[in-house]
Amino acid sequence: MTADSAAPVRDPAWSLSRSAIGLWVTEGVLGALFYGALVGAFVLFVPVGGPVPVLRWVLPSLVAVYAVVAIGIRPWYRHRVHRWEVTEEAVYTLTGWLTRTWTLVPISRIQTVDVTRGVLQQLFGLATVAVLTASSQGTVRVWHLEADVAQRVADDLARRTELVRDEAT
Amino acid sequence: MTDPDRPPWPRRPDGDGHGAAVDGAPAEGGTRRTSPRIVLVHTATFRQARQLVPALIPLVAVIGLDDGLTAVVLLAAAITALSLGAAALGWWRFGYADGPGAVVVTRGLLARSVRTVPNDRVRGVEVETPLLHRVFGLVRVRVDAAAGSVGADQEELVIDGVLRAEGDRLRTRLLARRVPAGPAPTEDAAAEPAEEVFARFDNRWLLYAPLVGSYLVVPLAAVGTLFRFVDELPDGLVPDVAEPDLSDLRVLGVAAVVAVVLLALAAVVGAAVVNWRFRLVRRGGSLVSVRGLLTRRHTELEVDRIRGGTLSEGLGMRWVRAARVNALVTGLGQANRRGQLLPLGPRAEAEVLLRRLVDDPGPLVRHPPAARRRRLVRALASGLVAAALGGLATATLGWWWALAVGGALTVLGVPLGLGRYRALGHRAGPRSFTVRSGWLVREQAVLQRRAVVGWQVRQSLFQRRARLATVVACVGAGSGGYAAVDMAAGDVAGFTAAASSGSWAGTLALR
Repeated sequence: MTADSAAPVRDPAWSLSRSAIGLWVTEGVLGALFYGALVGAFVLFVPVGGPVPVLRWVLPSLVAVYAVVAIGIRPWYRHRVHRWEVTEEAVYTLTGWLTRTWTLVPISRIQTVDVTRGVLQQLFGLATVAVLTASSQGTVRVWHLEADVAQRVADDLARRTELVRDEAT
Repeated sequence: MTDPDRPPWPRRPDGDGHGAAVDGAPAEGGTRRTSPRIVLVHTATFRQARQLVPALIPLVAVIGLDDGLTAVVLLAAAITALSLGAAALGWWRFGYADGPGAVVVTRGLLARSVRTVPNDRVRGVEVETPLLHRVFGLVRVRVDAAAGSVGADQEELVIDGVLRAEGDRLRTRLLARRVPAGPAPTEDAAAEPAEEVFARFDNRWLLYAPLVGSYLVVPLAAVGTLFRFVDELPDGLVPDVAEPDLSDLRVLGVAAVVAVVLLALAAVVGAAVVNWRFRLVRRGGSLVSVRGLLTRRHTELEVDRIRGGTLSEGLGMRWVRAARVNALVTGLGQANRRGQLLPLGPRAEAEVLLRRLVDDPGPLVRHPPAARRRRLVRALASGLVAAALGGLATATLGWWWALAVGGALTVLGVPLGLGRYRALGHRAGPRSFTVRSGWLVREQAVLQRRAVVGWQVRQSLFQRRARLATVVACVGAGSGGYAAVDMAAGDVAGFTAAASSGSWAGTLALR
C-alpha cells in the first residue's frame, strides 16, 4: 500500500478474519431481501397506471444492482480495506469502503473499553471492541474480531490504560 | 479524568468551617431549602404550570372563549391558582445539601429523585439573577458536573431561588473545595484573590449586532410569533387597519427601509440586554465572566481545564472585522453559552484574548489548489444540477424561470466555493495548533497540543484522486472534533505528529 502516494497515512498492520466476509455477505443478503420486499410490495400493490410508470422497472433494477454490490463486491472489498493494529502507544484502525477513515487513539487517553457482540456477530463468532475517549468523535471501533481475540485485546488495553493513564481529557 | 491519587470523594479540608453560619441554616450535611419567596417568582412566571398549557388548549377549544370577559378572567384566575399550588408543592418537595463530599439535590412530587454530584466532578458554578429574582433578592445557582455520555440536561444541578448571600456562599464553597491540595483554601483566600481583567465590553461594539445572525434571529422570531398571534385572534378583536396599497412601489420601499431599521435596532437592543456590562476577569484559578442587563449571569470556568478556544466570524461580522471567542473547556456542558469569553467585539481584541488562553501557533498554512477545485466543484454541483433540471423543464414544460434559477445558483456557487476555500487553513506551532474552516460562520479553533485525544483521517474516493484528506483532531471539549478539511495528503502525517503531545501520533507516519 505504501507505493500509493495518495495515501495520507500508513495503514494499520493487521487484517480481519475471513469470517467477517461471511458476516458482511449475510448483512448484504438481509438488506437486499428487505429492499426487495419493499419493491415487491410496491409493484404488487400500486396499480399499473400508477403515478410514475417508469418506477415499475427502475426500482427493481436498482435493488438488483444493490444486491450484486452488497453481496458480491462490497464484502471482499471491505475485507481488503479494513485493518487494525494495537501498538505500544496507540490503537489504530482503518475502516470504510469508498470513503476510508483512519482513526488513532493513544492508550493514555482511553477512558473505557467495551466489547459488544451483535446477534449476527454471535453466529459468526465475532465481536466488536469499542475504545472510547473524552471526545465524542474520538471513538475507535475495531469491528468483527474473533470473540476471543476481542476479549484479549480489551483486557490488554484496559490493563495498559491503568498503567499509563494521565488526565485523559 | 479523575486524578488517580485523590479519592473520588475527598474529605473536606480543615479550616473550611464557614458556611453553617448563614441565616441559621441547618448544620453541615443537613438538607437546606430554597427561599419561600421563590414560590411567588414561580407563580408569576408559571414555571410549573407551563407544562399544563398543552392540556389547556383543547379545554379552551371545547369551552370556547365566546362567553366574553368573564370566561377569560375566570380562566386566568384558575391558571394563577394552579400555578401557585404547583409552585408551592415544588418548593415544598425541593431540598439540597452541600455535604463534605458531594452536592445532593432532592426533588420530585411523587417520584422522588436524588441527584448526587461529587465535589471533584464540579466543573463550574453559574449564578444567575433573572429580573424577577432580583426583585425578591434571589439568585439561581447552576452547578455544572462533568459527565461524559449523559444528556445535556442531566449534566447540571439547578438550585433555583436561594438568597443572594447563600448563592455566593455555595459558589465559593464548591469552587474553593475543588482547588487541589496545598494550603487549605479559606474563605478569605477564595473571596479576595488578585483579579486581572481580560476583557471588558465596550458599548460601541453593540453596533456590530445587526450583522450577527444570532441577534437577528430573536426579533425575527418575535415578529413571526406576533403575526401568528394576530392570525389566531377572533376577527372582532383585531383593530380595523386600512389595508395599505401594496401595488405602490414607494409604499413597499418605505416599508422595507422601516423594517430594516427596526430589525437593526431590535438586534442592538437584544445584544445590549444579553451582554450589558460584560466583564471577563481572571480570579485565581478561574475565569469569571459577568454579563446581562435583566438577567445577570455569573459564570466561572477553571483555567486548568481550558484546552484552547475558537474564534468565529459570521459572514456579516467579517465585513466589519468583528469576531467572538469561545473557550474550549473539557467536560463542560452547554459549552456554547458557558464558554463564551467575548460575545462580540473587534477581531483584533478577540485575537489578543485568544492569545492569552493559548499560544499563537503562527500564520495559517493554505491548502493546495486541488482543495480549491474541490470546493468549487462542490459549490457548483447543486447549481449545475438545478440548471440541468431547469433546462429539461424549459424544454418540456416551458418553465424558463427554472433554468434562470439554476443559472443564478451556478453563478453564486463561484464566490461561495472560493470563499469556502479561502477559509481553509491549518498550522502546528511549538505548543499549540490551529485549524480553520467554514463560510457562513468561519471558525478557527486554536488548541493546546495536549488537548488531542485522537486523530481521525478521512479520505473519500474523490479526495483520493485529488491527493487530499480531511484530518479531524478529536478533543474532549467543545464540539468534540475540529477538522482541517482537504489538506494535502502528504502533509497529514507531519501535521498530526507536530500537533499532538508525545510520540504516539508517529504511528501514522508513512514507512
